[in-house]
Order: sequence, then structure tokens, then C-alpha cells
Amino acid sequence: MDFLVQILIAAVGMGTPLLFATLGGVISERAGVINLGMEGLMLVGALVAFVVMLNTGSYFYALVAASIASGIVSMIHGIVCLMLRASQIASGLALTFFGAGLSGLFGDKLTGETVEPLIRIPIPGLNAIPVLGPVLFNQDVLVYFSYLCVGLSWWMLFKTRLGLNIRSMGEAPEVCDSLGLSVLSYRFFAVVGGGMLIGIGGAYFPLALTPFWVDGITAGRGWIAVALVIFAFWDPIKALGGAYLFGIALALELRLQILGIEISPYFLKMLPYVLTILVLTLVTIRHNRLGIQVMPAALGNVFFRGEKH
Amino acid sequence: MAVGIEPLAAYQIVGEEIFLTKYGWQDLLVKMTPLMFTGLAVALAAQMRLWNIGAEGQFHMGTFALTWVALHYDGKLPDGILIILMFVMAMIGGGLWGSIPGFLKARFGVNEIITSLLLNYVAVAWLDHLLFGAWRDPNTNNFPITREFSEAGQIPTFGNTSIHAGLFIAFIFVAIIAWILWKTRLGFQIRLTGDNPHAARYSGVNIRTLTLLVFAVSGAIAGLAGFSEVTGIHYRLQQNISIGYGYTGIIVAWIARNHPLGVVLSAFFMSIVFVSAEVLQIEYGLPISMVYLYQGIILFTVLGSDIFTEYRLRIRRLIV
Repeated sequence: MDFLVQILIAAVGMGTPLLFATLGGVISERAGVINLGMEGLMLVGALVAFVVMLNTGSYFYALVAASIASGIVSMIHGIVCLMLRASQIASGLALTFFGAGLSGLFGDKLTGETVEPLIRIPIPGLNAIPVLGPVLFNQDVLVYFSYLCVGLSWWMLFKTRLGLNIRSMGEAPEVCDSLGLSVLSYRFFAVVGGGMLIGIGGAYFPLALTPFWVDGITAGRGWIAVALVIFAFWDPIKALGGAYLFGIALALELRLQILGIEISPYFLKMLPYVLTILVLTLVTIRHNRLGIQVMPAALGNVFFRGEKH
Repeated sequence: MAVGIEPLAAYQIVGEEIFLTKYGWQDLLVKMTPLMFTGLAVALAAQMRLWNIGAEGQFHMGTFALTWVALHYDGKLPDGILIILMFVMAMIGGGLWGSIPGFLKARFGVNEIITSLLLNYVAVAWLDHLLFGAWRDPNTNNFPITREFSEAGQIPTFGNTSIHAGLFIAFIFVAIIAWILWKTRLGFQIRLTGDNPHAARYSGVNIRTLTLLVFAVSGAIAGLAGFSEVTGIHYRLQQNISIGYGYTGIIVAWIARNHPLGVVLSAFFMSIVFVSAEVLQIEYGLPISMVYLYQGIILFTVLGSDIFTEYRLRIRRLIV
């Protein structure tokens, strides 16, 4: 029981960067723009957060700087695939390269430096609930912030005019255009806003999970988040469940070793990636069987004003 | 500039090191070899509008398969047989690894971009498992490397240079793939499916089988990149055997517009980027991951400029 709670506590921590990134992906893809550059954006967020944290010692500045930086970098994605109408897939891959290179180049001299990780702050009252209390309400500030982001992005997407417009951009941009809404502006807004959330996900690595710099600190989690967006059916609430499910897989990787179970650490390292492939396959089969269209209909399409598709 | 280096002086040093020395030219051709294979692998899949982002993993699984043969049969087989067996195993290893996303895509329609990419991490972890475990050479201070293969497991180099037969094999494969794509029925079906899957389906193309086949062949070619690196340069398996050659294949293919002959040129171009980064690493101590930054910028630039080659910009003023 105690072991289980320990796993779940770690799972929420490991799932939090995935959650931020998945939310960012959901917002961007709801507006019809695929962002395959999540890994790159997370690396940029992680690097900037680490550098700012190292120099100012302020978590707040680190977080703000990380989200602004990845917002700016995702503008490149927006400009290339929205204004210059290039392939969203290729542009996303370019973003991945760009982020990996940027964090590798400027992070090179930081290897070995450490920062103070975020401390856990229990929420009085709520943390007394058995199991759920310590798992969900004895975490750091960023985890609480992620709960807020889940609620806010759900509310924004499904309960506001802005969200309705964003979702329409992903379903039928030509209709939106005929209604006088600017497809480019909404999509650009969604890409940059989503990018900022993804950057916060990246920032969580140096600020809480691994408070020292290693090259490729995000270790492919951005790609897991790409799959999680599909797994979550483009829904912020389901993203929460998906992120924590993968958090459990990642937490097991650490805990099974402590238990002294004889598994090669490299096999445990494969676990989250293999799990992602399995889950993605199952979800796709389910999509096919249900025969319903959950994916935004215009996802990945280049929009040309005045052109019929 | 951002890292405190005089840019013009750096360009000059890089230019001199690469183009004015014998070693520079050799290095360009050596680095170009794996990029031709991986670029060709990605380009072949892309002809069918399939994204094979997994060339890196297929490269690694190719090296795994051929090293397995070398470690078990080195010295036990007649001359020439071992190296052929290693060649075949590299194709099988890469091909099977490439078949996984191919199968999932063909059978269930699973997004091949995500699956092929995630398998890269699995492949690297698998090699790490072996290199830090059963396959580690006990005589080398615990470095994650295997023992060196005998000469039976090496391909020849040209004269006194470090350029090896892998380059030759790469050119042969470029020719074969170009021939298949434009001179055979199979190639026509691949290109037709890429252009218009609906038309392809109505004309009787079995898209599922073709998807699996193309992914398997693509993986096999990426596996050959591993073959040429291991048997042509290192003569052993070691950690970080690929410095991102598989990922770079994506850019090589994109710049080449997925044309096999274009792959030769763009592989040479990306090779310049790699060798420059190496010179900068030696001269200024910059990390090799800078290559990725360059690649990202190059790809963004190419993508951004596509609009000007594909569409004509016309400014029309309304006369009121």
C-alpha cells in the first residue's frame, strides 16, 4: 500500500511535464495545427528555465522566461506553416532539431551545474484525504498550477466564444473565414499559446524533476506528449488521466530498481516508449471501430483563403 | 557570435580545414556515406507520403544484427562469407525494425511518425543494454564497446584514404531505388499512392502490403548505413555509433525533394555541415549538437522559401 502511494506520488510528478505539453498540443491541434516540435519546445523551455534559475534563483522568473522563450520559438513554427504555408509536419520536425540544437549548444557549458528543486507544499485539509491527499495535494506549486491549466483550458475550449472559434478553425476553417474570422490569427494564437504551455512542461524538468543539467534533459517526453494528444481525444480533462498513466510507467522505471527487482535498467528505460506505441495502437483501433470522427477534421491542412478543399 | 566566436574567422578556418586539406575532402565523403543511406531510406518512404522518422533506430538495429553475426561467427566462416552475412543481417535488422511502424500503419492505421520515432529510443536502449552488459569488451577499461572484428568483418578502403566501400554501395543503392521508382510497376504504384491514394486504390494497388513493403525496404537501407559505419570505419560496435545520421536523413530527403539522385547532392551538403561542426568542436570546443541547430534552421529556411518556388506572388492593386 505504502509502495503504491509512493509510486502514485512519483507518477504525478513525472506526469506533470507530460500534462503541460499535452495541453499545449491539444490547444494547437484543436485549432488545426499539428505541432510535432514539442520535444524541441520542451528543451528550449528547460534550458531557459535552468539558465534563469541559475542566475536569478527565482522560480517565477524561470517559469515566465521559459514560457516566453518557447512561445517565441513556436512563432517560427507559426510563421513557417501558417504564413508561409509549409508542411506542418516538416516544420514541426525542424522545430525539434532547432530546440535540440539550441539546448545542446548553450547547455553544453552548464553540464554539472545544479539548482534547488521546488519543494512540496501540502494543501491543508485536502492532504489529509487517504491516498488521494498525499498523491494529489502534497506536491509542488507547478503541479497545482497544472490542475489550474487543465480546468482553464477545458473551460476556454468548450465554454467560451474564443474556444468555439479555435475549435472551428480545426474543423472547418473555410466556414470560419466566410464568417469573417481570421483563420491565420486564431491559429497563430493557438500555436503560440500552446507552445508556451509546452515550454512550461519543459521547465518542469530542471525546476523539479532533475535539478541539474544534462544534454537532452527531456529524454523524448515531447514525443510521448505528441501521442498523448491523440490518446486524450484532444480533450484537456482526458489529457490529465493520460499524462498520469504515463507518469506511472515512468515512476515504475525508478521505483522497481529501488525494490531490487532484477530487470536491466535499459529495459525499464524502454517501458514508456513501448507503452506509448501499444496505447497508441489500441486507441487507433478503438477510433476505427467506433467509426467516429474525434480528430479535428482540418488538422494539418494548409489553409488558403478563397480556395475550396 | 552568441557563443563568443568571431564568425568570419571561424568561417575561414572551417573552409580551409574542409576544402583545402586532403583529410577534409576525405572526411566529407566518409560522412556523406551514411547520410546517403539514411536520406535514401527516408526519401523512399516519403515517395509514398510515409514519414519514416525511425531511420536512427533502424540504423542501430542494423548494427545490432550484424554485430551479433560478427561476434558469433568471426573466424568460423570462409573468407568473404562473413562480410556478406553481416551485410544481409544489417538489412534484416533494419528492415524488421522498420516493419514495426509499417505493420502498425498498414494493419491499424497507427500514425507512423510517432511509432517510428519512439522506436529509436527503444533501439538505443537495447544497444546500451548489450554494450554495458554481455557484449562489452573486457579488455578495454569498461568502455561501452565490443571487441574489434577481424579483417574478415571489414570492408576495403580506397587506397590510402579513409573512404571505404560503403560509399560505392550507397551509389549502387541510389541507382537501384531510382530504377525501381521510375522503371518498374512497383515504383509506379509507390509514386501513385503518394500522389493520390484513392486513385491508387481504385486501380488495384494493395496499399497495405505496399506500406509494409516500403517501410521494410526503407528500414533495410537505413540498416545499411549502420553496416557501412561499423564495417567501414569503427570495425566494432560502440555507444553513439550514429551521431544523428538517422535524423539527418529526414533533412537530406527533404532537401532532395525525395529524389534518389538529389539525395546524393543533399547528403554531400549535410556532410559539409557535419564536418564543419567537427572542425568547430576541435577549434573552439563547441558541442557537436550544434549540428541540430543548423539543421533546424536549414529546414525552416527551405520550408519557408518553398512558397516562392511553388506559388507566384502577385500584387494586385484595386483600382477604385
